[in-house]
Formats: sequence, C-alpha cells, structure tokens
Amino acid sequence: MIDIVLRDIWSPILFIIVGLLVTLIAYLFYKLGNSEYRKTRYKGDPFISGNRPPKDLQGIHVGGDNLYWGFTHALKKFFEPLVKGHTGIVNDYVYWFVVTLAVVLVYLYIAM
Amino acid sequence: MNIATHLPSFILGIPLLFAFLTPIANKFSKEIRNAVFLTGLLLTGLFVGLMAYEVYTTGGWVYIFGAQDPVGELTTESLFRITFVADGFSTLATLTIIITAIGAAFYSLGYMKESPGMGKYYTLFLLTLAGVNGMVLTSDLFNLFVWFEVTSIASCALVAYHNERGKSVEAALKYMIISVVGGLLLLVSIGLFYGEYGVLNYALIGDSVHGSFIDLLAIGIIMVILAMKASSVPMHMWAPDAYAEAPEPITPFIAITSLGALFVLFRLIFFVFRGAVEPPALGTILIFLGVLSMFVGVSMALKQSDIKRLIAYLSVSQIGYMMMAVGVGFATLDTADYGSFGAMAIEGGFFHMINDGVYKALLFLSAAAVIYATKIRDLNKLGGLAHNMPYTTFFFIIGALSIAGIPPLSGFSSKLLIYESVYLYHPILAIIALVVSIITLALVAKVFFNAFLGPDQKMSKGEVPSSMLIAMGILTAVVILFSLFPHYVVSEIVVPAMESLGVGA
Repeated sequence: MIDIVLRDIWSPILFIIVGLLVTLIAYLFYKLGNSEYRKTRYKGDPFISGNRPPKDLQGIHVGGDNLYWGFTHALKKFFEPLVKGHTGIVNDYVYWFVVTLAVVLVYLYIAM
Repeated sequence: MNIATHLPSFILGIPLLFAFLTPIANKFSKEIRNAVFLTGLLLTGLFVGLMAYEVYTTGGWVYIFGAQDPVGELTTESLFRITFVADGFSTLATLTIIITAIGAAFYSLGYMKESPGMGKYYTLFLLTLAGVNGMVLTSDLFNLFVWFEVTSIASCALVAYHNERGKSVEAALKYMIISVVGGLLLLVSIGLFYGEYGVLNYALIGDSVHGSFIDLLAIGIIMVILAMKASSVPMHMWAPDAYAEAPEPITPFIAITSLGALFVLFRLIFFVFRGAVEPPALGTILIFLGVLSMFVGVSMALKQSDIKRLIAYLSVSQIGYMMMAVGVGFATLDTADYGSFGAMAIEGGFFHMINDGVYKALLFLSAAAVIYATKIRDLNKLGGLAHNMPYTTFFFIIGALSIAGIPPLSGFSSKLLIYESVYLYHPILAIIALVVSIITLALVAKVFFNAFLGPDQKMSKGEVPSSMLIAMGILTAVVILFSLFPHYVVSEIVVPAMESLGVGA
C-alpha cells in the first residue's frame, strides 16, 4: 500500500510557482556569469559535426521515418507482424470483430 | 412543471431542427447558413450548460419523453416511452461532446470556407451532434440503437465528404460496413433482452438480469460492439482510416463519437450488466482490451509518417487508458479494494475521458492547421513551421504535453490517478501505462520536431485564419483550465458522474 496518496499532494499551481522560482534562481545564476560577450568568427553559428551548415537547408532536417529508425529497426520482429496485421482490408476488420466477440462470449460463459 | 426538466429533449431536438434548417438557409446565402448552423450549435451548448447547472444544483432526473408527467415514475402506460437520463454521467458526456463540437465548428468556418457542399456538411455535423448526444442521454436500449444508427450514418457521410478522393470513400465504406455489422448485432442483442424481459429501459433490465445464458449473450455482444465503436484494439482498424480521411476540422468530432460509445459502454456496465455478471469478469475484459489498445495503438503510431494517422493511433492508445482504469475500478466493486483504489481508478478513467476529448481535438486541429498551411501531411516532408506559425506551434505543444501526461497539464492529473490506482491492482498495469506514456511523449516530440522545428523551409505563408486560431484557442483554454484546477474538475464533474452510476468516490 502506498502511504502517501499522490493525488492529494499534487497541486499544479504549486508546481508552476516552484517552476517559476527555479527559473528565477537559474536566471540569477546566469546573470552572475561573464556579461562581456564578444562575437568572434564562429561563435554562435550552427555547429554540425564540425562542419559549417550547407546553404541548402533541406537536407539537414531529419525526416519522420528516420527519427526513431534505430528503435523500430531493432524491434522489427515485433513491428513486422503488427504492421502486416493491419491489412486495410475490411474483411479482416470484421474478422477481428467476430474473433473478439467469440473470445468475450466464451470467457463470460466460463467465468459465470 | 419546471421547464428545465425538458432540457434533455432540447439538447436533442435543437440540433435536429437546425440540421434541417441549415440546407434551407444555404439556399439564401453562405452567411445565413453559417449563422443558422452556429445558432443551432450554440443553443445546444447553452442547453447542455443549463442541464449541467440543474444537475449540479438540484440533482439529476429521468425524463420520460411524451408522458403527461415527464419526470414521474415509469408506469405501465409509460413503460415503452423513450426515457432520457439527466445525471452527472450524462452531463460529463455531453460537456465533453459540446466542447469538442464548438471547437470543430469554429474551425470549420475558416478551414472549409471555400469548400463546396457546405450546407450538407453542416447538416451532417448537427445530425452527428444530435446522434452522439442521444446515445449518451438515452436510457432505453432501442432508442440507443436509433441514435447509434443516426451517429453512424451521419459520421460515415462526413468521412466521405471529400468524395473526389478515392481514399475518403474507401474509409467511409469500411466505417459503414463495420457500423452496419455492429448496428445489426446491437439490434439482435436488444431483441434478446426484450424477448427475455419484455422491457427496453436500462433500469428495468438492470433490475431483471440474473446471469442467464441469454443475458450473457446479449451483454457480450453489446460490450464488443461498443468497444469496436470506441476503436478498441483489435477492432480499431477502421478508426485510423476514418480519422485520416475525414475532412480535417471534423476529425476530432468523428473521434468524439468513439468516446460517446465508451460513455454508453460504461453506463451499461454499471447500470445494467452489473446484476448479471460478476464485476471481476467484466472488469477483466475491459482491462484486457484496454491494455491491448494502449500498447498496440502506441506501437502502430511509431510506424506512421502521416500526421493524422499518427494522432489517430495515439487516440486508440488513449482509449485504452480509460478502459483499463474503469475496468480496474469495476473489477474491485463490492470489495474492500474499491475504497482503497478502485474508486480512484474510476475517477482517473472518467477524468481522462473529458481530458482526452479536449486535448485530442486540439491535437487534431493543430495537425489540420499544418495541413491547411502546407497542403502536406507527410512528416518526412514537413519542417520549420514554428518560424511562421507561432500560435499553432503553441497550441500543438499544449495538446502534445497534455496527451503525453507531462505536469502540470491536465493529462498528467488524470494519468496520475490511473497510475496510482492500477499499480495497487497489479503493478504491471502501471508499468505498461507508464511505458505507453513515455512512447507517447516520444511520438509527439517526433511530430513537433518534424513539423515545427528545423530551418524555415518556407512551407507556409503565415498563420491560419483567425477563426481556426480561435477554435484552437478555446480548446487550449479548456486544457489549461483543467490543468490548473484538476481537483475542482474531479469533485464537481467526475464525482457526480460516478455517484449517478451508483458508485461512490
């Protein structure tokens, strides 16, 4: 049994106030830093693996399929049958409905 | 007799009346048509608000349609009359529906301004509104079937609105076939109950059921049909097709019909089926379908590159949270565990329903703004929209953080209740819920990164029209309101909903 009931101590307004206080403290620390900023040759420029950014920016944005490619590729044995099961054929949609109905009815019959 | 007692009939009658006035108004001018449509919608909203006020101040009531005394006892004379329930639960449902409807309506005014056939579009919009409100307000099984059909037909037609696109027609056809199969079997199960008990009213059937074979057959069929309509895995496949191909502004409203089915399922489980089947048995079915929906929904979302299909799968996954939480609460009914954590699970589930209705609508509408501005829905091709669409970016962030359950947003508050309570039922459920939430965060981060971040690729000329921004703004305001005052939402909206189903908080 959890002794502290989290829902009773959860207060969004308190969370926001604490968040603002932390931000304020962080800002004060930031202000303590060196205020003399001198822009030298490359300071502040985008840095892409040591190369200057190309003029055509189209290629440097990672596309939707590539973002979690490693994750989905590593788990392809899980994803392949899952995606394959979503055939888009309406007969299969009805098939899953009938299968679920049968399972639920058998379960209810056994449970009672 | 107090005029307020007739509010349920106004909530259903007004959208029906204005649904048929809209095409007539369309003959005159676009402005008159829009005015008629908005009047119908806002009047419905006003009556929903008034019903909420009445329910929360004086308590709920059963409305017998057409009876001399519409709030009297059910007599032999009024036994076969249609009855509607105005209580905490139907108020929770109608509030969720009307908030989404108002968002979708204002959005449509801007988004669909140049589209042809808008008279029919608004007619179907109001018919869907009447249908889904009827589903959640009725307490009569045959009347449920009627509203189920009204909702299905109107929303199928809305999905097929872009009939010049083959995919839209295909999605609508699939949705129609699934709805027809569900509708016919619903009628069969209603016939089974009527054949056995000779009544159609929820309360009367609830008093009569005793767990006979016919009861189990009817209960099983109704549960599976409503779970399918709620897009629960493995019967969810129609939903991403329908959501993705429906006109962008109407998508959240199509999704709300799924939530409407879930409201009906929960009312029937607590009100009617409870006397026939042991709560742990029904609760286990809900938990199983819920966990499956959460896991499969979010896994399939990982493989999507179409922004609308991705959010559609997230929607399937969110339905799982509600089913699992309410399933846990229901399974513990009549045991000591109900007081320790079962009530909290139901609280979390119901709170998540109203949250989900609003933030999901916000996400769908922000995705629609992206599509409107760029004519692109492929995440591989989008990028840099935050440079030119700062408001849409902000609205998307609010919806995204809320669906991912990041504090202090409202999604976190409802998920906290769910995590804490289902953990006590079985820790593995809380672990699954947390993992699904983390993957949801990764997915909305993907959409945010792909569509809004990166260098400005000049894909959009600027922000979307103001009516669309207002619609997203309204929904954002509601999400923020729910986020700041979750305890108030739970005590004033969720707890009365639970009490009206006969379960205390």
